[in-house]
Amino acid sequence: MQARVGDELVIQGHHVGEGRRTGEIVEVRGADGGPPYVVRWDDSGRTTLMFPGTDCEIHRPASKENH
Amino acid sequence: MDLDITLRQPVVIECDATVVEAASSMAANGVGSLIVTDHGRPVGIVTDRDLVTRAVAKGADPNSRIDSVMTANLIALDADADFDDVLHTFSHHGVRRLPLVDHDRVVGVVSLDDVLVSMVTDLGGVARVLAAQIMFPHAPDEPPAPTTT
Repeated sequence: MQARVGDELVIQGHHVGEGRRTGEIVEVRGADGGPPYVVRWDDSGRTTLMFPGTDCEIHRPASKENH
Repeated sequence: MDLDITLRQPVVIECDATVVEAASSMAANGVGSLIVTDHGRPVGIVTDRDLVTRAVAKGADPNSRIDSVMTANLIALDADADFDDVLHTFSHHGVRRLPLVDHDRVVGVVSLDDVLVSMVTDLGGVARVLAAQIMFPHAPDEPPAPTTT
C-alpha cells in the first residue's frame, strides 16, 4: 500500500453499525509511501495514526493524478 | 508518553498464522493481544476476546488464519503521545489496546487497563500526601505576623 499526503483514505465498515469512514492522509511515516499514515477524519476533524488493513482503500484526488 | 506506565513489549504474529498458533503465542508470552503483521508490516491486532467471540463462539476451524478474526486498520499512537491524546484515542475509536509507534516501528502496547492502573496509582500518591498533611501538619494554623515598615 502506497499513499501520498492529500490522498483520501476510505474504510468500509464490515460489522453491523459500522459506517464508511473517510479521511485525508496528512502525513506518511513509512518508507516509499508506506504506512503508518496520519489521517484526519472527515467526521470528527481529529487526526489518528494508523496502519490500514487490506480492506482499506486509498483514493488519489483527480487534481493530483498526474503529479 | 507522559504517563507512568510500564509499556508492554509488542508481540507480533504473521497474518497467515492460525488461531491456535495465536492462542499459543498469547499463552507463552503472557499477553492478551498480538500485533498482526504482513511480511513484517503491521496490518491489525487480535485480542484474546477476538479469539473467543469471533472464533470459538462461532465454531471456527482452529486452523483458520488469524487475519480472519483480527481487527484490521490498526489505530496507533505516537510513543510520546500525551495523556489527552491517549484518552481521546481510546474513547474515539472504542479500543482497549493501542500500539505505540516510533516513526514506522511498533515499540510497545498500552492498554486501557494500564492507563487506569496508572491513574489510580497517581491518586493513591496524592491521597497519601494529603493524609500525611492532615495527620502531621507542618505549620501552626495561625495567621502570619504582621510586618512593620
